[in-house]
Amino acid sequence: MKRFSLVEFSVEHPRLIVILSIIITLAFMTQFPKITTDTNPKHMLPETSEVRVWNDEVDRTFGLYEDMIVVGVANEKGIVNPGTLEKIKRITDEIIKIKGVASRDVNSFPTITNVTAEKGTLRVAPLMTNAPKNEGELEDFRKNLFDNPLFLNRIISKDGKNTAIYVPLEKGSNGKEIADRIREIIKLESLRAGKLSTEKYYVAGDPVARDTFGAEMFKLMGIFSPISGMIMLIASYIMFRSLFLSISIMIPAMIIIIWSMGLLIGMGFPIHIMSSMSPVFLMAIATDSIHIFNEFYFRYREKGDKKAAIIETMKVVRSPLIYTDITTAVGFGSLMLANIIPVKVFGFGVGFGTIALLLLSFSIVPALLTFIKVDKIERIIAREDISTSRTSIFLRKLGSVGAYRPKTTVTIGLILFVFAVIGITKIVVNNNMVEWFKENSEVRVADREINNALGGTSLGYMVAISREDDFIKKPDAMRYIEGLQRHIEKLRIVGKTFSVADYVKRINRVLHDDDPKYDVVPDTKEAVGQYLFLFSMSAKPSDLDNVVDPSFKKANIWVQLKTWDAGAMGEVIKAADEYKKSNPISLELKPAGIAYFNLVWNHEVLWDMVKGFIFALVAVFIILIFNFRSFKWALVSYVPLVFTVLLIYGVIGLSGKRFDMPISVLSSLSLGMAVDFAIHFVSRFRQHLSEKLEVRSEKLEDAKNLVTRHSSLVTESLLWTAARPGKGIMRNAVLFAASFAVMMFAPLTPYITVGAFIVSMMLLSAIMTIIYIPALITLMQGWLFKEGG
Amino acid sequence: MNKFKVQSSKFKVFMFCVLCSMFCVLVFALSSHALTPEEIVKKSQEAFFYPAKDFKARVMMKLIAKGGQERIRELTMLRKNYGASGGEQKYFMYFFQPADVKDMTFMVHKYPAKDDDRWLFVPAINMVRRIAAQDKSSSFVGSDFTYEDVSGRDIEDDAHSIIREEKVGVRDCYVIKSAPKAQDVDYSYKLSWIDKGNFLPIKEEFYDKKGERYKIFSADEIKDIKGFPTITKRSMKNLQSGHMTETVFVKADYNISIDDSLFSERFLKAPPKKWTE
Repeated sequence: MKRFSLVEFSVEHPRLIVILSIIITLAFMTQFPKITTDTNPKHMLPETSEVRVWNDEVDRTFGLYEDMIVVGVANEKGIVNPGTLEKIKRITDEIIKIKGVASRDVNSFPTITNVTAEKGTLRVAPLMTNAPKNEGELEDFRKNLFDNPLFLNRIISKDGKNTAIYVPLEKGSNGKEIADRIREIIKLESLRAGKLSTEKYYVAGDPVARDTFGAEMFKLMGIFSPISGMIMLIASYIMFRSLFLSISIMIPAMIIIIWSMGLLIGMGFPIHIMSSMSPVFLMAIATDSIHIFNEFYFRYREKGDKKAAIIETMKVVRSPLIYTDITTAVGFGSLMLANIIPVKVFGFGVGFGTIALLLLSFSIVPALLTFIKVDKIERIIAREDISTSRTSIFLRKLGSVGAYRPKTTVTIGLILFVFAVIGITKIVVNNNMVEWFKENSEVRVADREINNALGGTSLGYMVAISREDDFIKKPDAMRYIEGLQRHIEKLRIVGKTFSVADYVKRINRVLHDDDPKYDVVPDTKEAVGQYLFLFSMSAKPSDLDNVVDPSFKKANIWVQLKTWDAGAMGEVIKAADEYKKSNPISLELKPAGIAYFNLVWNHEVLWDMVKGFIFALVAVFIILIFNFRSFKWALVSYVPLVFTVLLIYGVIGLSGKRFDMPISVLSSLSLGMAVDFAIHFVSRFRQHLSEKLEVRSEKLEDAKNLVTRHSSLVTESLLWTAARPGKGIMRNAVLFAASFAVMMFAPLTPYITVGAFIVSMMLLSAIMTIIYIPALITLMQGWLFKEGG
Repeated sequence: MNKFKVQSSKFKVFMFCVLCSMFCVLVFALSSHALTPEEIVKKSQEAFFYPAKDFKARVMMKLIAKGGQERIRELTMLRKNYGASGGEQKYFMYFFQPADVKDMTFMVHKYPAKDDDRWLFVPAINMVRRIAAQDKSSSFVGSDFTYEDVSGRDIEDDAHSIIREEKVGVRDCYVIKSAPKAQDVDYSYKLSWIDKGNFLPIKEEFYDKKGERYKIFSADEIKDIKGFPTITKRSMKNLQSGHMTETVFVKADYNISIDDSLFSERFLKAPPKKWTE
């Protein structure tokens, strides 16, 4: 009984295979309309993660909003003038009317609570009920605004040229719609002012960044992926001079993209920053089938029979194809160990696509090959001669560098290795989501302007927790909180802090006829309690809720940071710990907020990377041993690969480019992808060598001795490998790099770094494979061929 | 033929008389019972904010946050009318809870069509301070009730209309829409379900400037005290913030002859026990 062969079946029934593929692909495509995106950075970690549970609790306890849009208003001539104030009033009034805005807690001149004393009367009221009209009113307003330390750097910059409108959003409201509406309001206001307008407006905040991000993601998938497909098509056309062949390379790529995206969407995963890159990755991975076409050309020339050539080709490339796809799938699969959800989903999707590709390589690719016109192949293969093709000659030369000067090559490698290690020690892990946008993008500009002028857009909290009700009202606790604020404020990255102590001090001063002497925490718990009660009688409920819990067990200290760097909150926590040590009191301090989330998440990224990388390192090596059934050969093919990865990370470290999520995700992936070249090279080299040996061993009994004695045969085989399968490797690398090169023009920096990384990774690992594997084999041939081989 | 004609004309006369009398009954019914929306609101204010000459109650307020956390306010509230419904009133409040504000007192002199005068005594620093009464719709002691919810709003400030009449539970109610004429409050209009019998508001709904319902008042218990129907349990719920306040009159009494002298700065510092307890 003959064993079923998928390749033979596909060659016999190519039409059936094509129709079947179309049907399955259409089935996956039906899922596409269900597509959703998720750009919320919080969803990087699961809902049950400690930091999210805690942050949600803090939000609930202090009535905080998850989402806030910040509208920055700048006027070079100063904000305090009737025109600008009138505009701020009008804009705020309009914003309050937007559906989805938590109107009651919008903070801006017309709405923010101010505590003042006027002619013996205490006044707790919004700062600016009506825009001041005459000089007298303006003077009063100016005094109110600049005299209240709670306002400084929050709603007014020191120089008086900037203010902000803080717009919290109700849960579940559409951030994009609201931001768009705010932009309309601003535009209308600018139009009304015409050329006389001296105000500049900036719209910033998480929801704005997220929506911009989502739009860019669709751009990547909808515009950049097709472009990269086109580039692959053109590049492969230049290589093979056959449109049919180029399209045949693209077909499996298209199929696996549709399958994996369909699967992810069908399983209900929203598209995230990572999975939006899947199409480009899958397209690049699909270039693997180039080895089939490459070999087919040569085989056809030798055989002259199309079907036989196909089957013959598949037989030769079978093992490397299986192992390269498996290593790639393992590289992506290792991402599923990650704690970061989008990374997991991405690993799963691309891993699935890679396995699907493996299946397609043995079915639809051979099926497609049967459709190729014979006369066309003949024309093409006329140019495919390793002795005359310029590429092959070049590759042969490249291979001979390692083969003829192995010691020099390895020494240079070792020197580079030392530099790489130095570079790697300099790597700084940092995720700064605002920096994911380009320097002059609206999000970055708005963030920069508001950060420069005011307290900062990144928000962290320090929650002070006691065990006792009303503990926070104790003057000691109040002074402790105040001291902590002053201590934290010494940090360069901290722009502003505020807490319940600020309200207490303010009221104390105002009750005592605005005497600066009383700008302190009062001496008794009763006074604190009564001040806060007095405040709560007229202020907005959220004013107090935001800084203290109803039982006065916990206080929330707001810390506005001037940077979105994850490490910033780390510095704050360190400063808080120092303060705690030198000021013992029974208050526990716990960080929270989005800035803290970023810190935790950043840490997870690092550990995920280490975990994934070690897993991929081990898994790839084991697969290599299986593939070659030899530890030694596995090691030889492994070394150039690891070297390449180290080199690239070394360069990143030396360049000072910070290590963010996409780059760290790539570390384990790149292992799985770059090892492909080594597998192809070593398998084909060994195949060729044994073919050559068979020829000779008919004459000589001890082939192995011959090998050791006549290492020239090894050298010749190495150079052959460099020239022929090497061409496939280079073609693969160039195509791979070409499709990723497009991403370097993408609008978001993670895409750019991923693009640049993969391009250099692929080209470098191809070159390293062709130079270093011959060098290592030449140097270690005594050891490699000693026994078994 | 002729006979029939006679009968027919008699019938016409008869029908005319019937219709006339029905019309008269209708006109009579409408003219004697139909109240204008302003009259309904006025009667409601009388019943709700102005019953009797004076009033005293021990008030428990529970301020409940969205997460279920509670804050307590316990106070004695005294009110005396100076003039008819819609006229001047004086309020005096003495706080028992929260514990650290015990002995705090708060006084409001309310005038029609004029800002209130408010004073507060802060015992910790033994100081009486006047407090500016800026915003009529600001929170009353941190609760979901505003000062207006506690002491009423000038009828002329709103445009009132009867939307419909409907039952709330067993009570027949007028549904009145009151839209502020000026933009001086947080809401764009208010719907009140006013009991046709005792004229107390049974339910109120506040609509924000986006036209969405965001605050609901409900009278949860009505008792007869000295012949005055009195809402002894009420709640106000903010649908947007999820915050809610429940108010209960633990003790309430009318016509107890409160001295005018109580409503003075002097007594803010040391109110007679007789009135605060």
